Amino acid sequence: MDVIWGVSTNEIAWGGPIAFYLFLAGIAGGAFLTASLTDLFSKNQYPKVIRSGVLIAIVTIIIGLGLLVVDLGRPLSFWKLLLHVNMGSVMSIGVFIVSGFTALAVVYGYLIWLGGSAQKRDLQTFRKPVAGLGILFSIGTATYTGFLLSAVTTNDFWYTPFLGITSVPFLPILFLVSATSTGLAATLIGAWNSGDLTAYKKVDMVLIILELVLISILYLSVHPIFFSGSMAVLFWLGVVGLGLIIPLLISFYGITNHKNVVLPVCTMVVIGGLSLRYFVVYTGQLF
Amino acid sequence: MAKKYTMIINLAKCIGCQACTVACKFENNVPEGQYRTKTPATELKGTYPNVSLFFIKEACQMCQKAPCVSVCPTKASYYNEDGVVLVDVDKCVGCMYCMAACPYNARFLNKETGVVDKCTFCYESKVSKGEKPACVSTCVGSALMFGDLNDPLSEASQFLTKHKGEVRKPELGTSPRVYYIYEGVVR
Repeated sequence: MDVIWGVSTNEIAWGGPIAFYLFLAGIAGGAFLTASLTDLFSKNQYPKVIRSGVLIAIVTIIIGLGLLVVDLGRPLSFWKLLLHVNMGSVMSIGVFIVSGFTALAVVYGYLIWLGGSAQKRDLQTFRKPVAGLGILFSIGTATYTGFLLSAVTTNDFWYTPFLGITSVPFLPILFLVSATSTGLAATLIGAWNSGDLTAYKKVDMVLIILELVLISILYLSVHPIFFSGSMAVLFWLGVVGLGLIIPLLISFYGITNHKNVVLPVCTMVVIGGLSLRYFVVYTGQLF
Repeated sequence: MAKKYTMIINLAKCIGCQACTVACKFENNVPEGQYRTKTPATELKGTYPNVSLFFIKEACQMCQKAPCVSVCPTKASYYNEDGVVLVDVDKCVGCMYCMAACPYNARFLNKETGVVDKCTFCYESKVSKGEKPACVSTCVGSALMFGDLNDPLSEASQFLTKHKGEVRKPELGTSPRVYYIYEGVVR
């Protein structure tokens, strides 16, 4: 850009890596929720779902954190985030929530995958407490990804309040629902051939409908410019079409006709979640 | 007594020569292609032959309720004792949260150091020694003024009693310490 005569454009401070991280942290939180809630409430029925969920949670959160560190201006100084704390900064608080979540996910994964042998039976007494505490941290991680953006009060899009209530930001709610939906979808992809998953499919449909409602509220709450230009394609095709409406229709068809449509539906939901993060991160900075 | 440093930009006097842009780069060793301050032209207004534009100096607005300071996870962005917003390069990890939060696009990631960079009012090298920032002392049209608002006799205080100083994006409540005088320009 010409420094003097060029048209000034809004610079993108946070780009692709951040959007992808927010997506991965959401998947991790949602997959952990799926696994731990299954473990707590119907342990023996869906062992594959539990194993799939916890493995996906560990892998996605570690890749996500790696991406964050690499994206820093000074990657090797990431440890300063643990040393210098600013309790007024959402990111500083988030560092501890996500670190706690990662540690709990790894411990829980160990208990699920490796701790089941006979001589380690004692360890299993820790499994349910770890799952319970992990649920709190996974909800924390999923909502944190929204709070990170909504805390930027100077950003008209990210700071959008829920139904006009200024103390309730919109993005944490939307990202929690999307995280649960995409995390559940990713978990089901990993356990797609493990028998009857009807209960999960129904939960998934409820989550998709809930997200459609939230997206509609968002659409009506903010200025139309945020849905224009290249962002219009990403929003209507990626977020709404591929991510919500098409999978909802296919899963409805699958349930009424008793067909296994887990793979296509869940893949689309995951791509929709990724589109949503890219859309929110970029459109908030472009306009 | 603590100072209340301010910069006043008298837009009608700016001829867009970019002496401030260049002086800043020399003073602060800002990498090629990056700027702590620059003075772009506004969009052309009116229809030929009655057209007009003016130049508007852009840099850190030294907010007293700075979004960059409140979001910074390591307290690398801070207010010093004289209310100047600065970046502690030893604490900054380059997460760019402040850049996402700054509504004035005043910050950038220095491509040589990997940390966030911005205007400092030349605090270390000039102002703390009683001098004026490099852009102010070099300004050929005397469009820039720098001073202490806690001193009622300073040039800046005196000027603001007679002229209407406006801040950019006041609706955001960031309380900037850089004032713009629009008298004599067509907005």
